[in-house]
Amino acid sequence: SVTSLDSIPMHGRDLTVHPDDLMEPPEQVNDSKQEILENKDVVVQHVNIQGLGRTKEDLLGYEISDVFHSKNLIDVMRKAHIARQRLLRLGIFKQVEVLIDTSEGTDALPNGLDVTFEVTEVKRLTGSYNTMVGNNEGSMVLGLKLPNTFGRAEKLTFQFSYGTKETSYGLSFFKPQPGNFERNLTLNLYKVTGQFPWSSLKETDKGMSAELNFPLGVTNHTLKWEGVWRELGCLARSASFAVREESGHSLKSALSHTVSIDSRNSAIFPSRGALLQINQELAGYTGGDASFLKEDFELQVNRRLFWDSVLSASLWGGMLYPIGGQSSSIADRFYLGGPTSVRGFGMYSIGPQSEGDYLGGEAYWAGGLHLYTPLPFRPGRGGFGDLFRTHFFLNAGNLCNLNYGDGPQAHLQKLAECIRWSYGAGIVLRLGNIARLELNYCVPMGVQSGDRCTGTRAGHYNSKLL
Amino acid sequence: MNVCVFIPTAAEPWPENATLYQPLKEDQILLSDCASSLAVQAYLRMCGLPVQVVCRANAEYMSPSGKIPFIHVGNQVVSELGPIVQFTKAKGHSLSDGLDDVQRAEMKAYMELVNNMLLTAELFIQWCDDATAAEISRPRYSSPYSWPLNNILAYQKQWEVRRKMNAIGWGGKTLEQVYEDVSQCCQALSQRLGTQPYFFSKQPTELDALVFGHLFTIITTRLTSGELAERIKGFSNLLSFCRRIEQTYFEDKTKNTKLSKFV
Repeated sequence: SVTSLDSIPMHGRDLTVHPDDLMEPPEQVNDSKQEILENKDVVVQHVNIQGLGRTKEDLLGYEISDVFHSKNLIDVMRKAHIARQRLLRLGIFKQVEVLIDTSEGTDALPNGLDVTFEVTEVKRLTGSYNTMVGNNEGSMVLGLKLPNTFGRAEKLTFQFSYGTKETSYGLSFFKPQPGNFERNLTLNLYKVTGQFPWSSLKETDKGMSAELNFPLGVTNHTLKWEGVWRELGCLARSASFAVREESGHSLKSALSHTVSIDSRNSAIFPSRGALLQINQELAGYTGGDASFLKEDFELQVNRRLFWDSVLSASLWGGMLYPIGGQSSSIADRFYLGGPTSVRGFGMYSIGPQSEGDYLGGEAYWAGGLHLYTPLPFRPGRGGFGDLFRTHFFLNAGNLCNLNYGDGPQAHLQKLAECIRWSYGAGIVLRLGNIARLELNYCVPMGVQSGDRCTGTRAGHYNSKLL
Repeated sequence: MNVCVFIPTAAEPWPENATLYQPLKEDQILLSDCASSLAVQAYLRMCGLPVQVVCRANAEYMSPSGKIPFIHVGNQVVSELGPIVQFTKAKGHSLSDGLDDVQRAEMKAYMELVNNMLLTAELFIQWCDDATAAEISRPRYSSPYSWPLNNILAYQKQWEVRRKMNAIGWGGKTLEQVYEDVSQCCQALSQRLGTQPYFFSKQPTELDALVFGHLFTIITTRLTSGELAERIKGFSNLLSFCRRIEQTYFEDKTKNTKLSKFV
């Protein structure tokens, strides 16, 4: 799907440094002392939080209550550390320090302990300026944030983004459930303007959404309702008539559900773990003009091999099923091609097209097999050389429209014919945990008439900044 | 000695699948758009160029200039009568070739009059008269869309047209004044037409197509008040002019809009 048509990510990459990166692990106590401390029974009598201003205390009770159940000193230290992490993840404290001391006062027990969390609240209003670069486009993002707005870790954010292909602004309100931070509600109001030169299309979306996130066992679920007023238009006078026919206004009111399981150790450069994400969207039953059922999934598996190399396999696909006899809109269809899906092909330039404008398709699948290895020469372990990896890849995919009258057998057959694929190698540069730059030599294969490849058939260099 | 030979390239012939786009006929199209569309259809029929009429809810947004109608010929898209006349001229079809310069200037002047008076009056009545706007224009304009988009688009269009009316000085006019203006315009047209079959003697020109489009649509459209139609029916030579063009060029059209029903 066209990612830039989503509402702007309110909880996107955070470019600030996390306090956890700087924190040192609890000191290692040598064995004999550890034995003594472990054997000593303690009772935690008081757990205090100092430094609260606007934060409501009832919110924090849930995060720190576990400390009361400590049995011995090591237990107290461990549980206090965990409580500190929990307090920090609320996003309302700049700093949290833990003080463990013996109890004092009239009701103090001989083995009683007092644990105090000294917190520094974040400012009421913060501004930020970020630049985001990705997939051959760049943008600057100005943000205004009111963290901990009403004292229970709510967050009100206003964001304005101005970029080469997209301009957007949005207002977002985030409210977690006290005691269950992972269960939260987000309300969004936004206006996004995007330009899609591969389709000669420009789109303006004005919309609102309400999103409920909650974990269920190992899975994470998101339920969302979104109402969008979409205006489509031709980007140039020379746009194809097929795109011109899609111009105009439409209203989409859709319910969607996403379930995801993520056990990877990193989102950008995972070396182990897997991700499975399944998303479905139903539009038209809560009003609006657009009426469809959309399903898509993503699967990624990573495994470390010999010598520090990582094998990564990914598969994703989706299907759009228009309901009620009307044809699908170009704004809802899937797109394929480019550095994020099938390298060697132009950005979203695979599949059905008309006069050079790519119209997207109602069904697609894409897969990739990547092998990351350390550079053949190792300039120095842990040094600059660690940022570079060599990268061998095999990408494949297909995008087409299905005739829904035919059975699933025919659908699979259609998706299996005319597969586009490519292979190649390159160098990947890792920029912290937030970005990656690729420089690849790539050979596209299975090119169908109408697809656009980047460079000559023999191969080309492409760069991708994620 | 240099010899320069100029070989004119042959213009592409008019294709069979030329299409004209307009809003939905039954539920959506408004008086002014219907008039403009009929004018273009009349012009193309007078030129003998076949065109298929296709109705689309988003025709206004498909149009490169935002105005109805537009034609899709080959791989070119042209909107509004003026550019379409130029376009057909480039393909070698023209109705005003037989006119001399004075007549051509006169024709242009009368076309300007129709656009500035009749078309503006139609827009005024549609969007600036509260009764018509509430009962006819807004419901029809917003019919293809669902709530709340339908209200947003209808009010947006109304606001846009009213702003334009204020800009050209029509903002303060009353309905009576507009009817008067229409009468005066028809008076001028009637005088120019006289007893001739068409404005420029025997052959129709784009001016005839334009006048026909507007007058015929006004007479055959039911508005909240029949006043406008009555004013035009007062000019008998204009009425017979409309009937003549309808019978000559539109006899294959559905009988529902036959002029005789409304006179």
